[in-house]
Amino acid sequence: MKTKLLIFLFALPLFVFSQNKVEKLHQTQALNCKTCHSCDIPTKENPCIKPCPRERLITIEQTPSDAPSILTIDKMKKTSDIYAPVVFSHRLHAEMADMGGGCRMCHHYNPPGEVVGCADCHELTRKRTDLSKPDLKGAYHQQCMNCHRQWSGKVECESCHAQNGSAKKTESKPKTDLAAKQVHQKVNPPELVKYDTPKANGKIVSFNHTDHVSTFSIDCEKCHSNESCNKCHAKYKPASLANRSVADKHVICANCHNTKANCSDCHKNSVVGSFNHKTRTGFDIAKNHAKLTCNRCHVEKGKFAGLKADCSICHGTWTKENFKHLITGLQLDETHADFECTDCHQDKNYANPTCKNCHEDKTYPKDKPGKLVKKSK
Amino acid sequence: MAKQSRRDFLKTSAIIGSAAAGLSSSTKAAPKNVLSEDRMGVLVDTTVCIGCRKCEWACKTAHNLATDPIETYEDRTVFKEQRRPNDKALTVVNEYPNTTSDKFPINVKVQCMHCDKPACVSACIVGAFSKNENGSVIWDGDKCIGCRYCMVACPFQIPAFEFEEALKPDIKKCDFCIERTSKDKLPACVEMCPVEAITYGRREDLLKVAKDRIKNYPHRYVNRIFGEHEVGGTSWLYLSSRQFEEIAFPKLGNDPAPGVSEAIQHGIFAYFVPPVALYALLGGVMWLNKNKKNHETDTEN
Repeated sequence: MKTKLLIFLFALPLFVFSQNKVEKLHQTQALNCKTCHSCDIPTKENPCIKPCPRERLITIEQTPSDAPSILTIDKMKKTSDIYAPVVFSHRLHAEMADMGGGCRMCHHYNPPGEVVGCADCHELTRKRTDLSKPDLKGAYHQQCMNCHRQWSGKVECESCHAQNGSAKKTESKPKTDLAAKQVHQKVNPPELVKYDTPKANGKIVSFNHTDHVSTFSIDCEKCHSNESCNKCHAKYKPASLANRSVADKHVICANCHNTKANCSDCHKNSVVGSFNHKTRTGFDIAKNHAKLTCNRCHVEKGKFAGLKADCSICHGTWTKENFKHLITGLQLDETHADFECTDCHQDKNYANPTCKNCHEDKTYPKDKPGKLVKKSK
Repeated sequence: MAKQSRRDFLKTSAIIGSAAAGLSSSTKAAPKNVLSEDRMGVLVDTTVCIGCRKCEWACKTAHNLATDPIETYEDRTVFKEQRRPNDKALTVVNEYPNTTSDKFPINVKVQCMHCDKPACVSACIVGAFSKNENGSVIWDGDKCIGCRYCMVACPFQIPAFEFEEALKPDIKKCDFCIERTSKDKLPACVEMCPVEAITYGRREDLLKVAKDRIKNYPHRYVNRIFGEHEVGGTSWLYLSSRQFEEIAFPKLGNDPAPGVSEAIQHGIFAYFVPPVALYALLGGVMWLNKNKKNHETDTEN
């Protein structure tokens, strides 16, 4: 009895400690119980842990350069095989996946810790009792075919496998050499993409890529979060957009634009050049506001229209005390520095100062009420 | 089951036939209850199948049927027309367009469904077909008399007749690789499939797997397992992204096919009612006509 008690007392802190550790780890991941447990109340006797759930439980935070470059998939190898094992350019594929969904595109289950490989969950034998997931051969082929079918529409064994005892064996060699390095060349982003739409009025949608990237500073991932290789490499590219539903076609634009209304904002009858704040709205931002992000002034998300070209809306009322005229690049001389702003600036945007209030023979910008200096911030 | 030669069969059927003539028959053509909980099945996931047709090759090889080399099966032009299993190919793969993505056509493997309540077993008048405890429906060539009732009865039009040798009747259809499975091997097609679009296992387990897939990927599948209830359930089960009737599956009710055919067949011949009724009807018509004639001659006179 005593020994049992001792063992219990000795084991208790261990048990509590391990519980804590698990709980902490689980808490940081914000896991849902059902992700791992199949029943409502998991107990110690029956934890009902799901076998390798195909859920978004991914912790691989590797970059393609961390990943192994070449893997030979020969775990299922048998002497009777018709085809030789695939030499899989893992890093090259990781690089491609990086442009799409990342590691999780293939590593669809990976609890914290080591990177889980396919063979860690998928059994080698097809004749098995747990039928909930495919065997290793099936898993590999399903994973590969998902993209390769889309890529080329081909399912020929020879596109990945060399035939055993065939001269074709050497063919995969150059590919593996390439795959050892990171090879994808720099992608040159387009400046302007013109879409011809089936819309009767407003056939043309001009998508100015440069504007979106530079002027509006939109992160690449905002639009290109789940890109597939065949976006660029597909043989029949124009068909891809035409086949999609109306909602699908607008899905990316709809992130920012209201695509349900105001079709004519984007659908025009001619190509529209890059965005120019002055021609579009009458307010020139190139002089003083060029470096600001849009949302500094257009505070309300998604609403751009209706902002008046009135400095006081953002800057409050300027007075001779709170405004340092120096930052405009013109240092007022002593006489002029004492004046109220409105003595010279009579319109709301302070654009065209007048001298007429005091001087009859002087005009701006020919005559200046001070000296020009280098603009300061 | 003891082997029975055709001669034996004809002898016994002659005796039974003469005996049955005097007796009212209470035959039940439905198979004995062999629907064991552990009966096997195959789940075909048409969303996974890539149409490589390796199963066709494996099937022919396992059944000693003539086949072209395996490389020739990569020819996808065969999909231009819909094919049916026949005496030279016990399983074939067909292709249907995918309405949502043209890159992923839907490929459907066709073979005997191995019904739980098979119409062929019930239609076969000599008992050459049998439903087995492992779920298979197999055919015994020694008993077959070549009547081809099975071909008519099958709701999937699977049994195929080998016409080349008319005197030695031979019905060909998928036999669930009964020889291989009795040696604890997988059916040839299941073993071959590179993507494991076809899974072999206990039918009950497969139903659970199929239901889990539908639950986990509701956008990938239509919410139906073909073969779960159709014609009383089949050993082969199918999952699909399109409605099954759109990819050339027959539109079938949930009642077992034998139930329908049996009821009609047995209804017609029960107690010789129809022949008696027919003669009674004809007799009645004659009698009426005779009366009418008599009446006419009476009025004329």
